[in-house]
Amino acid sequence: MTRSDSRTRRDVLKGAAGAAGIAGLAGCTQGGDGGDGGDGGGGGGGNQYPSIGNFPVEGDEVVIGFNVPQSGPYSAEGQDELRGYNLAKEHLNNGGGWVDQWDELSSGGILDKTVASVEGDTGTNPEQATQQARRMINQDNAMMISGGSSSAVAIAVQKLCQEQKVQFQCCLTHSNDTTGKSCVRYSTREVFNAFMTGAALAPILNDEYGSNLNFYQLYADYTWGQTVQSSMNKFLTESGWSQIDSVPTPLDTSDYSSFLSDVPREETDVLILAHYGLDAANSLPQAVNQGLDEDMEIVVPLYNRLMAKASGEAINGVFGTVDWNWQYDNPATNSFVEAYKSEHDRNPSYTARLAYNATMQYAAACERAGTFYPPEVLKELEGHTYSNAGLGTEEELRACDHQAMRPVQVVRGNVQGEDEFFELVNQTPTSEVEYACDAGPAAQCNLGPYE
Amino acid sequence: MSEAPTDTAAAEGPARTDGGTVTASDAGGSGTALERLVELSKRESVVVIGSAIALLALPVLLIDVLGFVSTLLFGSTKLAGYEGLSALVLAFAIAVIGFDILLGYTELLSFGHAAFFGVAAYTAGIVSTQVSANPLVMVFIGIVVTAPLAVVIGFLSIRRSGVYFAVLTLTFGQMLYFYALGPGAWLTGGANGLTDLQADPLFGFALSDTLQDIYFDMTGSLLLDVPFARLSVEYLLLAAFTLAAIWLAYRIINSPYGLILSAIGENEQRVDFVGLDVFRYKLMAFVISAMFAGAGGALFAVHERIAGIYPGTLYWITSGDFVIMAVLGGTGSIAGPFLGALVFEYISNVVSSLSFVLFTGPLKGIFGEFTLNFGSIWRLVLGGVFVLVVAKFPDGIRGAISSAVEAADGRLTGSGGGGSAADSEVDVDPDPEPETDGGATERPASRDEETGGERR
Repeated sequence: MTRSDSRTRRDVLKGAAGAAGIAGLAGCTQGGDGGDGGDGGGGGGGNQYPSIGNFPVEGDEVVIGFNVPQSGPYSAEGQDELRGYNLAKEHLNNGGGWVDQWDELSSGGILDKTVASVEGDTGTNPEQATQQARRMINQDNAMMISGGSSSAVAIAVQKLCQEQKVQFQCCLTHSNDTTGKSCVRYSTREVFNAFMTGAALAPILNDEYGSNLNFYQLYADYTWGQTVQSSMNKFLTESGWSQIDSVPTPLDTSDYSSFLSDVPREETDVLILAHYGLDAANSLPQAVNQGLDEDMEIVVPLYNRLMAKASGEAINGVFGTVDWNWQYDNPATNSFVEAYKSEHDRNPSYTARLAYNATMQYAAACERAGTFYPPEVLKELEGHTYSNAGLGTEEELRACDHQAMRPVQVVRGNVQGEDEFFELVNQTPTSEVEYACDAGPAAQCNLGPYE
Repeated sequence: MSEAPTDTAAAEGPARTDGGTVTASDAGGSGTALERLVELSKRESVVVIGSAIALLALPVLLIDVLGFVSTLLFGSTKLAGYEGLSALVLAFAIAVIGFDILLGYTELLSFGHAAFFGVAAYTAGIVSTQVSANPLVMVFIGIVVTAPLAVVIGFLSIRRSGVYFAVLTLTFGQMLYFYALGPGAWLTGGANGLTDLQADPLFGFALSDTLQDIYFDMTGSLLLDVPFARLSVEYLLLAAFTLAAIWLAYRIINSPYGLILSAIGENEQRVDFVGLDVFRYKLMAFVISAMFAGAGGALFAVHERIAGIYPGTLYWITSGDFVIMAVLGGTGSIAGPFLGALVFEYISNVVSSLSFVLFTGPLKGIFGEFTLNFGSIWRLVLGGVFVLVVAKFPDGIRGAISSAVEAADGRLTGSGGGGSAADSEVDVDPDPEPETDGGATERPASRDEETGGERR
């Protein structure tokens, strides 16, 4: 719809420039973009690039959309994502944070257009999320949408964005499918996926707990939990462990006691809880209340703050992975944490950093491209290597599947105080978690067209 | 059942063909301009043509008119609708128009209509990948599968009445929801949704093409850049089905059959005493309304072909949304469900995006800056609107509008709400009209035979 709408707009421009309608049609065929003749227009109205999606940006504002869960089981994470996004917007417009550190960026918005934002509540639910994204694209003319939390949401929204030719910047989505079988050209992801979590966790669990153990999995029954389950199974089985069973639990379950009481205590050495957000904040404490931690070790592949807070002391000793931690000591982390703290009086979670960086990466790519024209912005994002986003090491946004290749932090629960509930066990380097473009989740990825 | 209402209802048919003369004679027959207008608005031809105009105007109203008003008020188009919202409204409107045949006329409160909406949506989605991606085939099969499902669920639920009926339908809906979520994931994709929907062009036109595109492709020149040129093939498809749904609902409601349904709603026992099989009529009302919901669901699938179909379409909250839309808009009418769906989807998708900075100026120093974000509280807003409308106007938004019109006319006495409720009932055709249609007596006779057969 937007595609057609913009074609109309461009053609009207052409008409204003004095070109006859038939000449406009000739322009289309000469454009030679193939496929749909109408799309091939050769950029009328003196613009360097043809209209696509919501390009060109009209007026002196560029709109970006923050599509986060403000209700539903992941809403606590969504609130912190939103804080990260709004901080990024503030810095892009008025300077501060990474805008002062990165060469590409300067205050005054993106490409001298003030950054305006619109927000949406995904409800941790793909239907509602796509409605919100549709509104952002069609009504607010958003050039970029960022969000996630719930991979099902991210996958649904990025599919819509691909169709509408609007950039999607993944925030927290950890499913393999986001950059695997459901990958799209118009989406990039910084955070690692379940496959990389499995690759990082398996050797450490072997070292800590021994070999030839039996493990049992409970996982959230949607794309994220399913790929965590399959990745943990793959890497642990390859390391010599064996899976007793893996049991799906519906997303947004509050009572896990019946699932937990089915865990065979005698045989199970390690229990893996692939839950997140409010779900994990329910399942882990319930597992501890049932005394499962006395008979077996518990692993939560993807940590989050809500789960850790709800678990209290029970989190101690539980292994998992995180994207980043506010205690890192590098210039990017320091300036981000300082800016966040002065605004919100607390330390940021890693989802806030992901949100902040997703926005900054898009802004920087636009500045490097010198245009908002989405295919050019994408080409700047693809293959971009950076080490100034807080991890303290290099990250590469791969061109073949739009997945960042980066280290994975393995942590162990250790409550020390407010916002301090784990200790870093190992920063597994990129070389140990990366996979080739024709292997792992990337083997199923077909990015789709730029235009 | 007296014969008179049958005659008047059937007399609508001829009135449509020679509308001009009837209007003229009618104008002589009854009172004020408003009364004439009200009478006119009950004509089948007026209903159909008026609805068609309203359907074409809906996107313009949502996007351009609201955009203009919003820009005047706030300097931005944040209150405006967007392309895609109108289509969403229509998909739900069709479902709620059917739902209202059950709730507003037969007075059966079903809490499980998401079952039909969702099953049709999933069916249309599966048909698009396995059978045919022709949107018409998707919708047709989507509607057809809901009928046997409704017969089964209805047969088991209608044996109980009131709250037991509501809970039974709710339970069946939830059964299907949990099936789609877990055991049926091989078919539905579970929580990941059914995402690989296809949709072929309709009569050679891609669904996302606008009238402007089609005209451009055919002639190489542009239509005037008027709002109507932006209507897409997808929207026109939904509008055509909505028009058909409105017309069908009008025919059902104004037929002897519809009269019996209303009679059941008013007093079930009396209908039983007359010798009619109440159970069968209720079941038919249930199946009819389910097929409307099926049409809405299948069209919803066509609209959501990119985003996919998720188990939420089967969830009880969707059933509850149908009830809210029907009551908010005003039950016992056709316009009511339409208005309800419009306001509901507007609040859910547009109002939910609003945020206001509170405490600016000197207050900011006292309270600090605080942003009121409607994102997660849109249901609270909806609830507020719902309570307000229902408390003030028992006939919903439609009732509110008709009282406003009557008040504006300045000659109405008594309570507006009650009066308009009576207006919307099926049996209010005035005396003068049948007399003007003398030639119409043959058709009612044949119709009577049909319905007579039903009664035995």
